[in-house]
Amino acid sequence: MRTRTAAVALIAAATLVLAGCSGGGSGGQPGDHKITFMGWGSPQEVSVFKDLIKQYEKKYPGVKVDYISVPAADFPTKLQTMIASKKVPDVFYLTPENVMPYAKSGIIADLSDYVSDNEIFDEKNVWPNAINMYRYDGTDPGKGSIYGLPKDIGPFALAYNKDLFAKAGVTPPAAGTPWTWDEFVAAAKKLTSGSGNDKVYGSAPYSLESAVWSNGADWLNADHTKVTVTDQKFIEALQWVADLGLKEGVVPSSEEESSLGSFQRFLDGKIGMMGIGPWSQGQFWDEAKFDWDIMPWPVSPTTHTQATWYGGIGFAVGKNSKNLKDAENLAAFLAFNEDAQKTNMEKGQAIPNLIDMAKGDYLKMDKAPANKEEFLRIVEDYGRRATQTYTYNSEWFTLFNTDVASVMLGEKSAADYVKQVQPEMQELLDKGIAEQGK
Amino acid sequence: MSSVQRASDMRRHEKAWGWVFVAPITLQILLFCVAPVAIAIVAAFTNWNVIKGTYDFVGIDNFVEFLTDKKFWVASANTLFMLLPIPFYLVLAVLFAIGCHRNTPGSKLFRVLFFLPYISSIVALVVMWKWLFNYEYGLINQTLRAWFGIQGPNWLGDPAWIKFTIVLMIVWKMIGISSIYILAALKNIPGTYYEAARLDGAGPIRSFFSITLPLLTPVLFFLVVIGLIGSLQTFVEVQLFTTDGGRNYSAATITYYVWQKAFVSNEIGLASSVAFFFGLVILAVTLFQFRLSRRWVYEGE
Repeated sequence: MRTRTAAVALIAAATLVLAGCSGGGSGGQPGDHKITFMGWGSPQEVSVFKDLIKQYEKKYPGVKVDYISVPAADFPTKLQTMIASKKVPDVFYLTPENVMPYAKSGIIADLSDYVSDNEIFDEKNVWPNAINMYRYDGTDPGKGSIYGLPKDIGPFALAYNKDLFAKAGVTPPAAGTPWTWDEFVAAAKKLTSGSGNDKVYGSAPYSLESAVWSNGADWLNADHTKVTVTDQKFIEALQWVADLGLKEGVVPSSEEESSLGSFQRFLDGKIGMMGIGPWSQGQFWDEAKFDWDIMPWPVSPTTHTQATWYGGIGFAVGKNSKNLKDAENLAAFLAFNEDAQKTNMEKGQAIPNLIDMAKGDYLKMDKAPANKEEFLRIVEDYGRRATQTYTYNSEWFTLFNTDVASVMLGEKSAADYVKQVQPEMQELLDKGIAEQGK
Repeated sequence: MSSVQRASDMRRHEKAWGWVFVAPITLQILLFCVAPVAIAIVAAFTNWNVIKGTYDFVGIDNFVEFLTDKKFWVASANTLFMLLPIPFYLVLAVLFAIGCHRNTPGSKLFRVLFFLPYISSIVALVVMWKWLFNYEYGLINQTLRAWFGIQGPNWLGDPAWIKFTIVLMIVWKMIGISSIYILAALKNIPGTYYEAARLDGAGPIRSFFSITLPLLTPVLFFLVVIGLIGSLQTFVEVQLFTTDGGRNYSAATITYYVWQKAFVSNEIGLASSVAFFFGLVILAVTLFQFRLSRRWVYEGE
């Protein structure tokens, strides 16, 4: 009698303890294929995904998708835990900089064959740059086998407030005829006015990438082995960006930026020009109480070449997925399904991945910006992938950013800063390359 | 059955039931505390990296790596800085507890107000403080501008000020809970001591330093020990106030460094070695404090 109660008590106690561990599992019919999809997003994005998953399940009966939405900040940690416990999700978000490490470690599947032969999309109808972000040939990212399908490609363009331009008497540049940096500064000066709460700045802090690349420089050399921030053209570009605040007074200072971000200032009509991506269109349609459009990025007076960055997230498929075909189909469906692309486009979240839709329906959409072609031009023509996504890890880049504020605040000159930071950056880059080789 | 036999039977049954009751919590501690710590100690000597899939023994390489990393020493200096609030909030808590003990007007209300930060979500507190200390629009800088005509510093962005802001927040957070402990200890001091002192002609200040303070030393010792252990592990404030540990790594603490190595760089082996090393340091400091306590803590009658 007593042993029985003791046994019951022990089992109850054990259950209580093991309740501390977590489990899994969801509904579905036996015999259904179950695949997991993990990502992040705003509540609107999450609900769009839920709709897409329902459509996918209708198209492919017998497959059930378990959608795990994780806050963006926790995503890398959670993914790491799942990889460690060998429970890699079947489909999950992949950033371009993770293609190389994940592919090398055999975590993500090679999708090249699937891309050339599948029933959901035509490879030729997808932006080449969008797919190239997820290529890796064993040594260099950007070419070779495909390890991810693009969720979207986001070109970073320069938007401007048409009302402010009209009030200050500034004519924006026509598409295809960008301003030089001097013309940009002159216009920004005309737009800057007022003080205190009425202060209007000509521009938001300028994109360092655009300035550096337009001036013919870059953070790394062509094969990504040397840190080239001490190049004279790089220093010129960095100093020019800093001087926009320090000398010309046309951009908010770092302190003002940390108090109230330029994005909000622009929406409040207190900034003339600012860099945006297609993901902001929806918010601008809802909140901007002024007319706005996009202009071509200004060019360095020495080279007259335009440059800016594009980025994106992709869908990767776990290499050891037990339902590889279903996972690949889901990734392709989420990336290229026409209804999904149309929804994203109409909600102002992205430009379509599909070239015919982008050049057709998207351009015909009757909403700002009028100069939608600029987005497409960046994707096809002068946009570039961020340099730090080409290396095994971006610790050298994080180091550069950790104190670049000292240049922006005028505490150091650009030349002094890069001279100080370049050796440490090179060390970190070398360490990363050594890690890559292992 | 003899009574001796019955007694030892009962003893055995009691022992058995004792084990049954202790079993769940022992299991929990073994599974969720001891086992992970053991795994971490083993991992400290490996190059465990989940993404790369490596798990080989590398001896003391990890220890060499972080001991020669500049960021580690910057983080260590910042962590030492996080010990600053302890004396301040202990002094303020003692004063506040005495005020509560004497039922100064408003003490009941302030007791609740001071305790609120300790039980509030740290995320909510940080969001609130981010606005309070906002450079242009925060209440603090606006007050400075309005009353004194000076522009307050960039509390959250300037490397010289961010640590100070975090310290301020810790002081504010810990006054409440510390004063609760001290108040309980105050109530335990027999009134007879004060009466005797008064009869001997001692004023309030004399009785404070000769009676109250010595009798408070046990609870103060407790608060110093746990305050040290807690402050040394400051992490959440750094993560929520700054991106990447602040400009020039000015706000990062050791725990933040461990987190970065584990979850941003995926170097779990290296992170475990830092955590193990730091755990030993905290243990040594605590043991040292216990030794020192014999000098200044009143042990009782």
